[in-house]
Amino acid sequence: MTRAIHAEWTKLRTVPSTAWLLLAVVALTVGVSAMASGIVKCPASCSTDTTKLSLTGILLGQAAAAGLGVLVVSAEYSSGMIRVSLAATPRRTVLLAAKAAVVTAVVLAAGTIAVLGSVYASQLLQPGNGFTAKNHITGLSLLHGPTLRAAAGSVLYLVLIGLFSMGIAAAVREPAAAAALVLGVIYVIPVIADVSLSAIWQHRIERWTPMNAGMAIQATKDLAKLPIAPWPGLGVLGLWSAAALAAGWLVLRLRDA
Amino acid sequence: MTTTMTPYRSGQSGRDGFLQLLRAEWTKFRTVRGWIIAAIVVAALTAAAPIWLASTAKANDPETCVRGQCQAEGSNVAIGPAGTAVVDTFYFVHQPIGTNGSITVRVSSFGGSGHRPAVPTGYAPAPQTEPWAKAGIIIKSSTRPGTVYAAAMVTGAHGVRMQYNFTHDIAGTGTAAPQWLRLTRSGDTITGYDSADGKQWTKIGSAVVSGLPPTAQVGLFVASPDFNEATGNGDNRIGGPTAASAVFDHVHLTGGSAGQSWTGSQVGTGTGGLPTNARVKCHGCGPSNGPGPGGFASTNGAFSVHGTGDMAPFEPIVDPLHVSFFGTLFGLIVVIALGALFITSEYRRGLIRTTLASSPRRGRVLAAKTIVIGAVAFVAGLVGAAIAFPVTEQKLADNGWRPPVWPHYSIISGIGLQVVLGTAAIAAGAAVLGLVAGVVFRRSTSAVMAIIGLVVVPVILAVVMPIGVGTWLLRLTPAAALSLQSGVQRYTQVSNVCAPYHACFPLAGWNGFAVLGAWAIVAFAGASYLLRRRDV
Repeated sequence: MTRAIHAEWTKLRTVPSTAWLLLAVVALTVGVSAMASGIVKCPASCSTDTTKLSLTGILLGQAAAAGLGVLVVSAEYSSGMIRVSLAATPRRTVLLAAKAAVVTAVVLAAGTIAVLGSVYASQLLQPGNGFTAKNHITGLSLLHGPTLRAAAGSVLYLVLIGLFSMGIAAAVREPAAAAALVLGVIYVIPVIADVSLSAIWQHRIERWTPMNAGMAIQATKDLAKLPIAPWPGLGVLGLWSAAALAAGWLVLRLRDA
Repeated sequence: MTTTMTPYRSGQSGRDGFLQLLRAEWTKFRTVRGWIIAAIVVAALTAAAPIWLASTAKANDPETCVRGQCQAEGSNVAIGPAGTAVVDTFYFVHQPIGTNGSITVRVSSFGGSGHRPAVPTGYAPAPQTEPWAKAGIIIKSSTRPGTVYAAAMVTGAHGVRMQYNFTHDIAGTGTAAPQWLRLTRSGDTITGYDSADGKQWTKIGSAVVSGLPPTAQVGLFVASPDFNEATGNGDNRIGGPTAASAVFDHVHLTGGSAGQSWTGSQVGTGTGGLPTNARVKCHGCGPSNGPGPGGFASTNGAFSVHGTGDMAPFEPIVDPLHVSFFGTLFGLIVVIALGALFITSEYRRGLIRTTLASSPRRGRVLAAKTIVIGAVAFVAGLVGAAIAFPVTEQKLADNGWRPPVWPHYSIISGIGLQVVLGTAAIAAGAAVLGLVAGVVFRRSTSAVMAIIGLVVVPVILAVVMPIGVGTWLLRLTPAAALSLQSGVQRYTQVSNVCAPYHACFPLAGWNGFAVLGAWAIVAFAGASYLLRRRDV
């Protein structure tokens, strides 16, 4: 297993797209978070969830994490590398687990930097926009329990999105189809939920789809009003990731490479 | 023995023409079974998703009133002359006028009369005078709401206007009170004039108001529409009814009946456009907080009139048709992937070298590919949308989205054609973007992600980001083209919050599509440059 992980790490490390995608995770997350914190104002007492606001960039950063998850698998299929990999590591479960391990490690690292950067940028920007003690807003601090949960949970969110994408890519193989499917599930369904005119369906989508449920982890205010509580929400995303990995594992075992 | 070698000819001339190139690219497309299936999937998703969204959308469901569907219920909506919903609430000081006559007045002062909706501290208060508050003169069929009229008026911030039959709006030359106004009636034709001094008159415009009875009502009016402001993302908005008052003097009427005096009437009831029963986050709404009906007083030939309401088309907050057609985003995702694959698969298999060897003029190859994939996507989108549109309209009607507030469109009406052809055009544009991104990145993952990021992701960002950021995203990114799927006509003379959350796009109709077109053209130019410069 260690050797399989080492091999996967070498493969991941030596393609330029990995570095670019990890950089994109950090840049997109911090950039969009800082933009949101720089724009949203609190003229007087306001009910804005400052923690959630400071982590807005995860919305865009997850696309790069998803891209990494897809590439780790589908790049091997498009280049034929997968046959070499499987010759070297014939046990397919081990190969998939090794890939999952390196994806987890790199997204965890990049995600941590991205989340810390976002929180730090927001700590600098939010007080200037009226999010101050005068307006009954406590400053953003990772020592605050819910904020720490939201921040750590956002990193886990990125990891789970990476694993979800990896599983889909292993199941679908074709890179374009995998990327389209992953981004479709992540982004189109929430658009539908946001504008949907059916309260029932809106509620269902918000509870049971990967992004809507998973993003519940960022909420620190009005938790009782959430369609799904933070940790169960992240758990739903975890189930999606597990299901995608299981599907990928099944296809990898049953189909010729 | 000398023989002249004749160069080999295949017998068919002109094989390197552009048509041959198109045929070659079409052959490449149609012989990959997965792509044909993908094109069918595009059509199926484009048809199925809006139908499903429409079938789940119930109108006037108390649970979803927060989205504004109940807006019409709580407000004072009348049926206008064209059979559509209008708001027709104002204070009217009137007397009869025959088939020929005129009214001239001076609006000596005009402004908001102090009643403003309660706005939470920290938010911008309602303006002292609503931009579309109106004071002026009007010739109207009767005092019944929804009847035909023509009016000349001073507005809060849009200068002098002549408006008639709710949807028509012509700008005058004057800016603000004091201002002279005149309307002349000759049969069904009403002409409006404005003047700064009562001597030099400028014609604003004339209107044929058919259906005006021989004895109509003429007089002075004041209206002030609801204040409506978005305060953040989503559906957070504040607003409520406002009031305005004006002083009129130098009132001169011809063509009236002898011995008549001025009567004051409140046309319509209620407080205007915002719901009283809906759970819109609207602070200070409701009749108890309203300014109440208008009134007037006259002293020495000067009339002081105050009123509330509006005379304008009714503009719903939500657009159920547009919301349903958001479902076509699913099809767009597939179209983008298909466009990218059409070229990246050639890079992956090395076929691109054969393609470019047989047709060395690379720009033409890209043009042929663009035309083929654009046409395939257009047809798939067209088939899907043509199936979706009538079924969606029927489902919406079954769910309570009915005229007059929610018009029912046929597929061959202007809106129907715009939505169906627009959906097809958006699919074609997205496919072309996918293709050119495929040339730029040469790998399908990057190409698909970049274009989905450009076309689809801005929609979700626009919904969750504050409204100012959201509307700019929908102006600048190709997502602007989704404006073509709109089923509600928006009017400039109605102040409404245009929120992405309510499927309102900042650029109307084909203007939005022009953004997608510009992106596609620039990307095509960049890609053909890269294709010529790079090795394959």
